[in-house]
Amino acid sequence: MKRVMGTLIIIGLLAVGCVKRAPAPGVTDTEILIGNVQDLSGPMKELGAVIPSGSNMYFKYINDQGGVHGRSIKMLIEDHQYNPQKAVAATKKLVEKDQVFCLYQIIGTSPCEAIRPILSETGTPLIAPATNSGTMSDLSRQAGDLIFHTDTGYDRQAEILVGYILNQNSDAKIGLVYQDDDYGENVLEGIARAESEHEITVQKESYQRGAIDFKGQTMNLLKGGCTDVIIAGIVREPVTVMKTAEAMNYKPNFFGTGPTVDARVGKLAGSAGEGFTATYWAHMWNSDAPGAKLYRELCEKYDIPEPYIGLYHYYGFATAQLLVEGLERAGRNPTRKSLVRGLETLKNWDVGSFPPITYGRNDHAGVDKVQLVQMQNGEQVVITDWLE
Amino acid sequence: MADLIIENLTMRFAGVVALDDVSFSVANGEIFSLIGPNGSGKTTLFNCINGFNKPQGGKIYFNGNNLLERRPHNIIDSGISRTFQNVQNIPFMTVLDNILLGSHSRIDTKATLQRWLSQDQREIEEAMVLDIMDFLGIANYEQKYMVGQPFGIQKLAEIARALVSKPKLILLDEPAAGMNDQETREIANIIREIKEDLGITVLLVEHDMNLVMSISDRICVLDSGEIIALGEPEEIKNHPKVIEIYLGETADA
Amino acid sequence: MKGRYEDENLYWIPVLIIFVFLLPFILKGLSFSYKYYLFVLNMAGIYIILNVGLDLLSGFTGLVSLGHAGFLAVGAYTSAILVDQFGVPFALSLIISPLIAGLFGFVIGFPALRITGMYLGLTTMGFGFIVKRMIIAFREWTHGSGGLDVSSPMLFGYTIKSDWNNYFLIYTFVIIAVIVGRRIAKSKIGRAFMAIRDSEQAAEAAGINLSKYKMLAFFISGIFAGFAGVLFAHTSSFISTDHFDILLSIYFIIMVLVGGASSIYGAVLGTLFIVLLDNLFVPLLKDQIHFWFNTQAGDIQSLIFGLIMFLFIIFQPMGLYGMWLKMRIYWKLFPFNPRQRFT
Repeated sequence: MKRVMGTLIIIGLLAVGCVKRAPAPGVTDTEILIGNVQDLSGPMKELGAVIPSGSNMYFKYINDQGGVHGRSIKMLIEDHQYNPQKAVAATKKLVEKDQVFCLYQIIGTSPCEAIRPILSETGTPLIAPATNSGTMSDLSRQAGDLIFHTDTGYDRQAEILVGYILNQNSDAKIGLVYQDDDYGENVLEGIARAESEHEITVQKESYQRGAIDFKGQTMNLLKGGCTDVIIAGIVREPVTVMKTAEAMNYKPNFFGTGPTVDARVGKLAGSAGEGFTATYWAHMWNSDAPGAKLYRELCEKYDIPEPYIGLYHYYGFATAQLLVEGLERAGRNPTRKSLVRGLETLKNWDVGSFPPITYGRNDHAGVDKVQLVQMQNGEQVVITDWLE
Repeated sequence: MADLIIENLTMRFAGVVALDDVSFSVANGEIFSLIGPNGSGKTTLFNCINGFNKPQGGKIYFNGNNLLERRPHNIIDSGISRTFQNVQNIPFMTVLDNILLGSHSRIDTKATLQRWLSQDQREIEEAMVLDIMDFLGIANYEQKYMVGQPFGIQKLAEIARALVSKPKLILLDEPAAGMNDQETREIANIIREIKEDLGITVLLVEHDMNLVMSISDRICVLDSGEIIALGEPEEIKNHPKVIEIYLGETADA
Repeated sequence: MKGRYEDENLYWIPVLIIFVFLLPFILKGLSFSYKYYLFVLNMAGIYIILNVGLDLLSGFTGLVSLGHAGFLAVGAYTSAILVDQFGVPFALSLIISPLIAGLFGFVIGFPALRITGMYLGLTTMGFGFIVKRMIIAFREWTHGSGGLDVSSPMLFGYTIKSDWNNYFLIYTFVIIAVIVGRRIAKSKIGRAFMAIRDSEQAAEAAGINLSKYKMLAFFISGIFAGFAGVLFAHTSSFISTDHFDILLSIYFIIMVLVGGASSIYGAVLGTLFIVLLDNLFVPLLKDQIHFWFNTQAGDIQSLIFGLIMFLFIIFQPMGLYGMWLKMRIYWKLFPFNPRQRFT
């Protein structure tokens, strides 16, 4: 036993001696390794394939041009099935085992919250987490200084929506349908701020994640006489609410936050979805903004299959642009610190995919405004300028 | 003095009368057999004594205790244990543990819990089983899992489990079912020894007439829930009604 | 008399314990990504504690629970709230929180007196959902579904942080849990549990109070799960309702089944097997597949995992522990009677 132990310890010591560490993890002369954790087999798996595909398209475009400072970008994708514990495991693997340089685009609020300890322990930055939650840009939270958020927070979106509705019709009675999870929690924060600012009360109706029946909530909104209804849902929820309301012959103006900007909402809701207005924190992928133009060009160039092209694929593309910009600014010999410093120098950075982004030492929030996108005759039409 | 007294016991299942006004008593230290064709209510009677079935009428006393007031798991405390017609062992437990199960109410919970880190309590528990296993001749099987053991061993283990609680009365439900002649003779010897060496009263349900006739002190014949005859083996053998409904059948077969 | 009735060889247990505590040093020596391996082992350790309890309930007593993530959540949230909001010391919370989870188990035990099998599975599954609703309802303490930051464990004035320190904390309790679980299993209580599972009649005739022991099984199982929950909350430092998904409960049951129900070592083996398979082997295999076929996309991981589980259940229905027993008996009898197997 003793001898075996001794041998093992010697082998161990030798192994420690032999391993050479790269100056910054994940960076070699030819390659930068970044890590991404998506939901490939859980409730959001439709996005899990699409978003990274958009990112990879842009990385390919950059790599074809010679990469960032001569290094090509390689992205590793792990699966977390929308489970925070699995997200932690996957992130640990990427950071400790695969030794990625930085993390990018991890999807979901609770997975992103759960990995904060890893970020702060290893100093690994997380660029553009794929969640709207305003908690991501809260610098007072653990590892807040390492997270660079791009999207407008759900709270801001709800706040802006309330302001917009009251601006159109100062007598509006506003109703809210929200999911009783971290998403809804964040929306409620924004609503609470708006309530005190405009001195109104919003009628709040909650539903459980995964609910398919909204008769009770819709009926309550009808009884409460709401003229404008904000739906903080994903895709199925706004569709069902609007269809239920149509069946009840109840016709308020419908608004949506965050993921409801998905084009499928209007398609699935049909006539009930006409006039549905959603907030969006980037330029539309089919708009004339320079970023969107480049996006469509690349889609054609790299033969992206039709079902992929759209909002989420574009989202992957747009955030990839931010990451590449950050890597450029991190310098010839990038370290995790220089990446953070590089991103913090962004001042009104605008390539026409997101509205201008400014980061700073005390500001990691990215975009904080939205435009409103309305369903008109089955097409998504931008109806406002950028609202703050 | 009568040990087990059964008075006017009546048990019906959804209109079917399983036991109809049955009364008898079993004296201390005798082997009392219940016989009768299938469905005559023998096992139902066992289940009533054991508390599994709650009869609609009648009384069961054992040493002055009213058994009908007790819940099934308390019956063993009044000194009655039993075996089952279809062997009820715990397959993925060793033979030893299966037998130890019978001593459940004799083992102090506190002692098992307090001394579980030592081997002592286990030895105390096993000492309880040792004699019984030697007595039944299955000591070699202690560490074997019950599953896969020969049927005879399983039967003996079940008897051992009933014996290990140190009962005053043991209910044996067809101990010789499915056994060959030699094993049946062994069982007969064991039952005799249970009575003579351990001083335990035996209430036996059995189909094997030779076994019943050779070891019983008294026999009670049941048919459709009614007592047809009750007496010593010789009487029963010559009882006309018994010959007609019971032995007659076997003679034809 | 000793020796004759010694049912297990205990001499290798200290060796195993020493190995468990040396393992981090060996890993550190062998690989620079040892922190990741330690993290996976820590996760396995917490699940082992829970699964020892689940095995006592579902494996031994035969009361299927599909709500054990709920008990884990009760332990985790109770401890997080007690320590961070009421200032209860961690060491004290290690005692209180499992007891509270145990009380929940006690309450869930009531329906188990009447129903069994699949219906009990559904009832306990419902419990898992109820716990989630409760966490959302008591948002004052739990922050609703937004999740809760939890402080690191403090013992004897030391704050235990990092995977390295967590390992020693968790595995100390793993060893205690396994010993306690095994002692329960081998005592009068464990025998009563198994008797209830295989024959309620035989159990009652032997003097076992069915209601009492079924409740006890739920209580004990709740305590183990609660204990795992406390460690889970404080070592992962963030908990949310998403952590305690119904899928996790099903995972636990699979771990126990794969290990071989009604054996404490089986529960340990099964947990290690599944966690290591799911977090080390399958991702490596997936990386290899991506490398060989030069692809990136797809949830190959779930596919591989499902396939391995499928093959395992078909070819090893007795579980890992059963496999080990078969092997042991085979070698014991080796040249003489290799056909006689564990039956």
